[in-house]
Amino acid sequence: MKPLIRYLNTIWQITRKDIQVEWRGRQGVPVMLVFALLVVFLFNFALQLSPELQAGLASGLLWVSLAFASTLGLNRSVSLERENNAMDGLLLAPVDRSAIFFGKSISNFAFTCLVAIILLPVFSLFYQQNMLSLPLIGIILLGVAAYTSLGTLLAALSIQTRTRDVLLPVLLYPLALPILIAAVESSRGVLSGQAFADLQSWVYLLVACVVLFNAAGLMFFETILEE
Amino acid sequence: MENQAASHALQIAVRGLVKRYHYHPVLNQLTLDIEHGAFCILVGSNGAGKTTLLRILASLSRADEGRIWIGGMLLGTSPLLRKRIGYISHHTMFYQDLTAIENLRHYARLYALQDIDEKIQAGIQSTGLTRAQHQPVRTFSRGMQQRLSIARALLHDPDILLFDEPYTGLDQEAAQSLDQKLNALHQAGRTILLAAHRPQRLISIASHVAWLNDGKIIQHIPTSRLADIPDLYHYLQEAA
Repeated sequence: MKPLIRYLNTIWQITRKDIQVEWRGRQGVPVMLVFALLVVFLFNFALQLSPELQAGLASGLLWVSLAFASTLGLNRSVSLERENNAMDGLLLAPVDRSAIFFGKSISNFAFTCLVAIILLPVFSLFYQQNMLSLPLIGIILLGVAAYTSLGTLLAALSIQTRTRDVLLPVLLYPLALPILIAAVESSRGVLSGQAFADLQSWVYLLVACVVLFNAAGLMFFETILEE
Repeated sequence: MENQAASHALQIAVRGLVKRYHYHPVLNQLTLDIEHGAFCILVGSNGAGKTTLLRILASLSRADEGRIWIGGMLLGTSPLLRKRIGYISHHTMFYQDLTAIENLRHYARLYALQDIDEKIQAGIQSTGLTRAQHQPVRTFSRGMQQRLSIARALLHDPDILLFDEPYTGLDQEAAQSLDQKLNALHQAGRTILLAAHRPQRLISIASHVAWLNDGKIIQHIPTSRLADIPDLYHYLQEAA
């Protein structure tokens, strides 16, 4: 098998295994989804906002619920590999270890996107916004890709520590601030009907984050995981 | 160059290995040679560095200093070298919600093996888990998980096997079954390095004993010469 094909195959095998484990156990996505929906319901009923204020806050609330739900998924992703030292089984395989990063990053991305697919219609209903527009979906894909690639990298870092359960959000939220700010601003722009030219700096920042954190995973994942 | 030349004749050659945790050396200028087909028991008290040494040999941990050759190739130069190594510890490395077959298939795909189904069935049958092969690993006893773990480690047909305390949590019957399996693997010509806190049961099967103390191998002799080293002999008696 050619090296590139073998590398891509390894990525697919890791992703497939994560999806298979999730399908069998159903311990990650349902919890993420319930949590995200609870955030939507709680903010909607607790704040009792006027329609104008709801429109302004919708993008922020969307990203808060997605980010928190995704963090739950990332924690689950870590605990899955920690149980019975399953991560050692992946590290023993004769493959470039950065493939493990991409495989897990893609599965985390897929799980968060699945939550977003269910969340968006609910959000549209509660906040009276059309959340099912293509530009918004594009921004969500970019933002989730950046967030989950950074999260996967930090989850690997936290797996080595005793305080792993609390360390991930403590590390992740400050470092994810540029992603969240760019995602919220560009989503708000799309929802208020702004032209792409007005939003492009935020979108480019999201693209830069995707490239940066995936490159960091490619370069540092093996170093992070080796004791 | 001399070290490298010497390492070609050996299956495992370790030179000047140092590993520190929080500036404390767990392995300190450790040197060890394991020949092709040897079955070496690694003994030593708790915290002597047995697990650390095995994890470094399996590429799960990084040494601070020193070099390791596996079959004449320098460890760390290619991920493909890991294909020659099978590693078994008391952690089974299985996904509990997947069945035995699904777990083995996942590992077989990571190793890019050919004829996966045949190899998995051969592994399942050799470990006597045929009836439980479609059950989630979560439902397996400790002994069954350990047998499946051996099937996982042998799936890619490695010539070097590293065992880290494989008897942990096994009952008498499962331990005897593991004795037989180890003996069969040794007879089949695999090179085995096994760390055990209580190694007495393996003395009759193994070919060598290496005594790890203070981060160094202080004795490494054939089991037939154990009586010549009273300190090691007494240590093994006490450990039993």
